Amino acid sequence: MNEIKYITERVWIGQLGHAFVILSFVTALLSCVCFYLSFKNKDFVKLARISFNLHGFSVLGIAGTLFFMLFNHYFEYQYVWQHSNTEMDMKYILSCFWEGQEGSFLLWTFWNIILGWILKYQLKNGEWEVPVMTVFALVQVFLASMLLGVYIFDYKIGTNPFLLMKEHSEFSHLPFVLAGKYESTARGLNPLLMNYWMTIHPPTLFLGFASTLVPFAFAIAALWNKQYNNWQKIALPWTYFGILILGVGILMGGAWAYEALSFGGFWAWDPVENSSLVPWLVLVAAGHTMIINKNKGGSLFTTHLLAIGSFLLVLYSTFMTRSGVLGNASVHAFTDLGMTGQLVMYVLTFVFITVALLIHNSLFRVSYIVGSLLMLAFGLIYGYKRDLLVMWVCASTIITSIAYFKYFPKEKEEEELFSREFWMFLGSLVLLLASLIITYFTSIPVLNKLFNTEYAPPKVPVYNTWITPFAIVLMLLLAGGLFLKYKKSNTKQFVKQMAVSLVLAIVFGMVCCIPLYFLNAQPINTTIITYVVLFVFSLFAIFANGYYWLSILKGNIKKSGAAIAHIGFALILLGVLVSTSKKVTISKNTADRKVSDLGEGFDDKVSILLTQGDTLPMGPYLVTYTGKEKKGINVYFKVDYLKINKNNKPEFDFTLMPMIQDNPRMGKAPEPDTKHYLDRDVYTHVTAADLNIDTITQNKGYQSAKNYVGHVGDTIYASNALVIIDSLKTNLSKEQYQKNDSLLEVTAVLKVVDAQSTSYYAYPKYIIKNNIVIPKEDELETLGLKFVFWKINPDDNTIEITLSEKVANNKDFIVMEAYIFPYINILWIGSLIMAIGTAIAIAERIRKLKVQTAKV
Amino acid sequence: MKKLHIVGIIIIAVAIGVIFVSLKNTSTYADFTEAIANPDKEYHVVGKLDKDQPQIYDPRVNADEFLFTLVDNKGIAKQVVLHKSKPQDFEKSEQIVLIGKMHGSEFHANDILMKCPSKYNDSKAQIN
Repeated sequence: MNEIKYITERVWIGQLGHAFVILSFVTALLSCVCFYLSFKNKDFVKLARISFNLHGFSVLGIAGTLFFMLFNHYFEYQYVWQHSNTEMDMKYILSCFWEGQEGSFLLWTFWNIILGWILKYQLKNGEWEVPVMTVFALVQVFLASMLLGVYIFDYKIGTNPFLLMKEHSEFSHLPFVLAGKYESTARGLNPLLMNYWMTIHPPTLFLGFASTLVPFAFAIAALWNKQYNNWQKIALPWTYFGILILGVGILMGGAWAYEALSFGGFWAWDPVENSSLVPWLVLVAAGHTMIINKNKGGSLFTTHLLAIGSFLLVLYSTFMTRSGVLGNASVHAFTDLGMTGQLVMYVLTFVFITVALLIHNSLFRVSYIVGSLLMLAFGLIYGYKRDLLVMWVCASTIITSIAYFKYFPKEKEEEELFSREFWMFLGSLVLLLASLIITYFTSIPVLNKLFNTEYAPPKVPVYNTWITPFAIVLMLLLAGGLFLKYKKSNTKQFVKQMAVSLVLAIVFGMVCCIPLYFLNAQPINTTIITYVVLFVFSLFAIFANGYYWLSILKGNIKKSGAAIAHIGFALILLGVLVSTSKKVTISKNTADRKVSDLGEGFDDKVSILLTQGDTLPMGPYLVTYTGKEKKGINVYFKVDYLKINKNNKPEFDFTLMPMIQDNPRMGKAPEPDTKHYLDRDVYTHVTAADLNIDTITQNKGYQSAKNYVGHVGDTIYASNALVIIDSLKTNLSKEQYQKNDSLLEVTAVLKVVDAQSTSYYAYPKYIIKNNIVIPKEDELETLGLKFVFWKINPDDNTIEITLSEKVANNKDFIVMEAYIFPYINILWIGSLIMAIGTAIAIAERIRKLKVQTAKV
Repeated sequence: MKKLHIVGIIIIAVAIGVIFVSLKNTSTYADFTEAIANPDKEYHVVGKLDKDQPQIYDPRVNADEFLFTLVDNKGIAKQVVLHKSKPQDFEKSEQIVLIGKMHGSEFHANDILMKCPSKYNDSKAQIN
């Protein structure tokens, strides 16, 4: 490719792409309207299906066009220019695709289409096709509009990924754009994202987000045609598919953070993490109430609320993370693409639809709709948007509760305390409550905006403290749940079955807890007690579910889904608990300043200074920083770990190379390096270091001199010693010198104290001979210091000395943090087991569904 | 459904409890004046780095201590002791959030959040 081609931009492809965008929006709208109309008139259903297919193909068209542009380096387009360049490896081209917001919306839409097609095929001609696909298409209308990039009055709807650089308001005026120099300036993918995680994590997560749409569409459809009871069995495999994929996506994010980011762990309760965890928790709760409903009936209101809530929370999290409302509250970088208003409107629209459908009385419904629209109009015209929003949310909440009491069919008989449905229901509520608390904490920046408050987002320990009790209750419910039968269980038998696992858990748990929590010097406080309780209860859940699988199900694989998934979930909690609460900081600071009196949260003993070549003790190891190495924009710091062997001699164990990336886009970004063992991880990252690669240690010369002005008694700081101006000695007194100005010799006596407190003396001389100053330098060879005494200021009795240091004096050093995460593998094994268990459960649900449909 | 109603009441009670308890203990965004008035309370202070004042970070003395001066949004400058290693690209920060409290005449921070220039500004800087 040569430069001349860039004089004329390849406009056609952008026009093609945008044509697909508009087509996808129009066809989604058409499909939504036709599906809606076919509710009354079946003739429309064909047109609805065709337009949904057309919508799907145009989404594929958008994705294909964008991919083609990226792959062929059409840098005259802003999205391509922004997210790719010619230097990068082509294997990251997919990551470029979804690095930007437009691309990630596209990815989301893409998965919706794939799921939508499968769902449409599954429901074809059934009673659910029309209402479910109406909702589905409506969501697609909203998603498709995110890419429109059209102005309606002054409001911008969506951002178009097919803008030329010359059309983009941020760039169009820049000289390189006017000159058409795109290729050489292309920004490319953020180097921090050039890894396999960026290739697999976003598509998994967005597939998870997309699958929350299926239970949502069913629940809305059910509210709409008042068929509350017979969608759950069709939606169940979809819901558990969502649970599986979203769960895996979230855990992948944790693993990525742990491996490649330096916030010192796999979970930081960051808003971005929370906003994907919360929909998952709610989806899990929805999945369980759906099972109750399918097996025993009831739990209708909760099921609908949770199924709808999960998707609404995905939308809400999109708003939170894409609108810039979080500002300083997150480590993730957010850019506001000016879609805040639009995202808020989308969330509110779907809440509005839900509440309106919950009202069965048509007069009441109409007044709610009219009232909401009036409030919207009033807000748009006269302002007071914030107060109106708060009022509207309150009103909608109250109406939802009224709808629950007035319109929803309820069970006549009360649930038994010892019944599976009651325990499952409790579990779902616990999950919901935990989600609400996490959402509340995460939403503090939003609440600040709404109520003009100044609350800061809570820190990690606050989350941990609040969530632990919920985890404990969940573990208890998880342990007992499967042993109970629907409706009524034999209490005696149940207690007997539970007792085995509980006794085993207490004995085993307490034995493990003694070295883990009780043998420390620290006093036993409530935190430690809650940890121990959670530890024992997680074991209880693991043993009980294992016992259930082996003895009651007799090891049957097909039916084991729930038991195995529960074991996995309990293992995850156990792994999180042990690796987090027993995380050991092994990098210790040798400075003796005490900051613990400042209170909680102050701990200045987390960083270790490693000077090149020196060997220092660090936890169970001896560590040596041996040097650094530059590869591209990454600088690797090589740190050797030695262990004391049987003969009491240090022996090389392993090398870790944490690095700092000099990222042109985000500045210096550290990436940790971790040594994995079966029972623990040694995790390190460099927090401060010099990234210049000069072979300074080999240089024998002196650095340029620095000048110091001082009195007798002052101290000069050299990099390896303290220099005290001890005294001045002259060969002549002042009077003698004034009489006889032929020769004056002043000697500065400098006391030099090195790090080992050894004293040396240096005697630089200031000589005036025939009115000419001839300083005589003095050098301390062992310390690599050279002094020149070159000026006396009689006015203020100061003298001036220059100090030069040998280049090699400034030894290279790094500041590092190092942690041991014990038993973190339990977490990863648990994740795997939970995924396998969920997959088994999905397979079983699909099989049952097929058997049922075959019977019908 | 009586049992469920009890559960519902418990849930509402817990939710309200969480809001009240957490609001009481949550630190708030504030300026130095407020932090000086309540020396024992933790605050999030937002401000800018005072580039004319010295920044002292000598890991050979203490790798977890970094001194600098922050000017809060009201224009009040205070000496800050950050009990952490000096963050990367500290000088480039546009805005700083410090988490900590006043102790004597210094503000002691146990954590820091920095807002760095956005990528668009950055791209302009690179090209010019």
